[in-house]
Amino acid sequence: MFTTGSKYFLGLSVLAGVAFAVSMFFANPSALGATALIGLVGALALLAGVVLYARDGDVGSGEVTASSNRPAPTSMWPLISAGGVALLLIGTITQPAFFLLGIVVLVAAFVEWMVLCWSESASSDDQFNAGIRKRLLNPIEFPVLGAVGLGLLIFSFSRVMLAVDSRVGVALFIIIGALLIVGGALFAMRPTLKQGLVTAICTLAAIAIVGAGVSAAQNGMRSELVAARYESDHEVQRECGANATEHGDSGVTQTISSVSGVSATVEFIDGKLLAHVQGMTGFQNAITIPRSSPSNIIFRNFDSGRFRLVAHLGTKQVTEGVVEEVVACTQLIRSGAEQLLTLSIPKSSVANGPYFLSIAGIDDQSVDLVVP
Amino acid sequence: MNHLPIRGRISVLMHMLSSVLRRLRGWILTGGAFIVLAGCAKNAPQDTWKPKGANATKIDNLQKPVFAVAGVIGVIVFVAVIYCVIKFRDRGQPIPRQTHGNPALEITLTIIPALILTVVGVFTVRTVFDLAKTSDTEMIINVTGQQWWWEYDYPVQEQYGITEPIVTSGQLVIPVGTKILLRETSRDVIHSYWIPALNGKRDAVPGRIQTNRIEADQPGIYAGQCTEFCGLSHANMRMEAVALSKEDFAKWVANQQSKYVAPADGTLAKEGEAVFLNQCVRCHQVNGLTRADGSPAIATADENVWTGVAPNLTHLMSRNTFAGAMFDLSTPECRKDVWESDSATFGSKYLAGVTEACLNQTALRDWLRNAPAVKPMYTNPALLSPTDGKYRGMPYLGLSESDIEKLVAYLLTRQ
Repeated sequence: MFTTGSKYFLGLSVLAGVAFAVSMFFANPSALGATALIGLVGALALLAGVVLYARDGDVGSGEVTASSNRPAPTSMWPLISAGGVALLLIGTITQPAFFLLGIVVLVAAFVEWMVLCWSESASSDDQFNAGIRKRLLNPIEFPVLGAVGLGLLIFSFSRVMLAVDSRVGVALFIIIGALLIVGGALFAMRPTLKQGLVTAICTLAAIAIVGAGVSAAQNGMRSELVAARYESDHEVQRECGANATEHGDSGVTQTISSVSGVSATVEFIDGKLLAHVQGMTGFQNAITIPRSSPSNIIFRNFDSGRFRLVAHLGTKQVTEGVVEEVVACTQLIRSGAEQLLTLSIPKSSVANGPYFLSIAGIDDQSVDLVVP
Repeated sequence: MNHLPIRGRISVLMHMLSSVLRRLRGWILTGGAFIVLAGCAKNAPQDTWKPKGANATKIDNLQKPVFAVAGVIGVIVFVAVIYCVIKFRDRGQPIPRQTHGNPALEITLTIIPALILTVVGVFTVRTVFDLAKTSDTEMIINVTGQQWWWEYDYPVQEQYGITEPIVTSGQLVIPVGTKILLRETSRDVIHSYWIPALNGKRDAVPGRIQTNRIEADQPGIYAGQCTEFCGLSHANMRMEAVALSKEDFAKWVANQQSKYVAPADGTLAKEGEAVFLNQCVRCHQVNGLTRADGSPAIATADENVWTGVAPNLTHLMSRNTFAGAMFDLSTPECRKDVWESDSATFGSKYLAGVTEACLNQTALRDWLRNAPAVKPMYTNPALLSPTDGKYRGMPYLGLSESDIEKLVAYLLTRQ
């Protein structure tokens, strides 16, 4: 009564049902997990029903016998599955990333191997069998392999860009971009070029990029990036005085890429500090920003000289009896330049305020910062 | 079936499909009828076809003609496809002669849709620019989304009597006939703010301020829903906009800015204030509330909640919903009385707030007893490692029935 296919899906359905029961009664019950597993049970039961109704696609019994009598051809998937298991084991004692990679490899190998076995027993015609395997899996394999390959190239290239000096990086970006365009144009102009030659050039280029990426990853990021990585809340830690600091004011960003989606714009013009909030007419003497939410403020310096915007965010107790002011600031920026100050303030300004914005070295100008 | 040619296999599959459809015809028709009839709700506060404000009307003026055009084209295409499927279905006849290259027909079939899309595009772009206009804004309100409620803060705007910031949640209160600019952002994931009767939706994105203009023509309550999937209780992240006449809005502002009045000594509410100070102020702020030593009681939500905030409860009873507008703070009768009142009486009824007689005691007590049991939230202490032990939502507090009694009495004083 039950066909081979329906037995398979019924078995999986029962297995999913057992997983549901184990999850609910013995593991950690959660609405999300229960919904997923019950959905899986339903989907597999539906597939079992469909397969049963269609009698496994009505494969002729003679075909099955003919194909099943042949010896199984060689396959690389057992080897890859073993590699996946090895990654799983390594992942359990080293890093979760290996464990996840092992799961991905095992799932991919399982699917590929299953479809391969199914296609090999579909008929006695090997060419036909290979064809149906390709028709089923190529639409998945090509995009996935393409994405993985592209991701590997991008990741390798990013390692190179992070390792080399920033000025060298710009030059490298231009050169590689130009090479890609020129190469693409040449290939397009010479359609008679041998496919093997094009493949060889592309493969060599890919190997070069991946190789450079591996080498760059071994050398690590350039020194300033390493320093930035271990520096949290750099805007709060930065020295916020009127004078330039050795590290905080080097490599100053003078322009910003985004001018929309900000909480307010603060301008320093002719010795006056002026704030503008979208939707409010004229200049404001107070800016309201939400608590515990990153808020961006654009600072524009239209005065002569280099200035920085400083946010005074109350005080905090460092140790018993020692209280220090909490400040955040931009870098010193030249006249006509702009920079973004991002603030995320966990406490209402009622708690230990008042908060305000000022210009370092200018005492008589400020804009209130209200955190309700 | 594999030994059959492709055409033969398709024929077998089509035959099987038509056989299944024939058997299920009754069920399909019944199911379809149910789906169609489900759209005939009488009480549908989030109906996108009933605009109540200028921007929503602009959208409505665009969507109705577009819907009509798309509907007519859709019906024509659908009928043509069904006709072709039935008329030219496979009955074993030879494949008809295939034709290619009919320039006149191809150009016509390209130009007609292009013209239709151009006309629709012109009106759409014009509407998009109209909706994005902010230069004539009359009032701004900061709207901040977090899992799974909305916070509203009103910056100082002295022309409306707002002399110090107002913070509220769940219900956005606005004056009618006023061009309001909502400055939306989020504290955690992307949410989307949508009051269908007043305007289209706009995503609230962490780290960005997205503007969204609304304006209500008449006093009333307008319902909305977060429309960007934002986690476990996304479906329970609701909101309401309450439009009041300008006079009533001024009264609402005055009430929101009124000074804190502590409950009288010896009352149950006073005991509730003590419970609030012990338990709730860890996350919830009540402006003006002080501790025994006279220092202001400041919420420390940033130490307990992943987003760093919990709803401000200073005037909880001035709004008639709670927990992300999911539950009614008023009994169904009182809520119906406010929702269905006419424009002239709506303001006074809403401003009366939630009285003891109108308080939905069951819902509020259930919430205080075990909040995660009535609204799914990430509050299981065993599963909080991704958020460094901080909650996303209100946790189970283990309050005794006596404490709940006292808290309800205290919260009732937060008018």
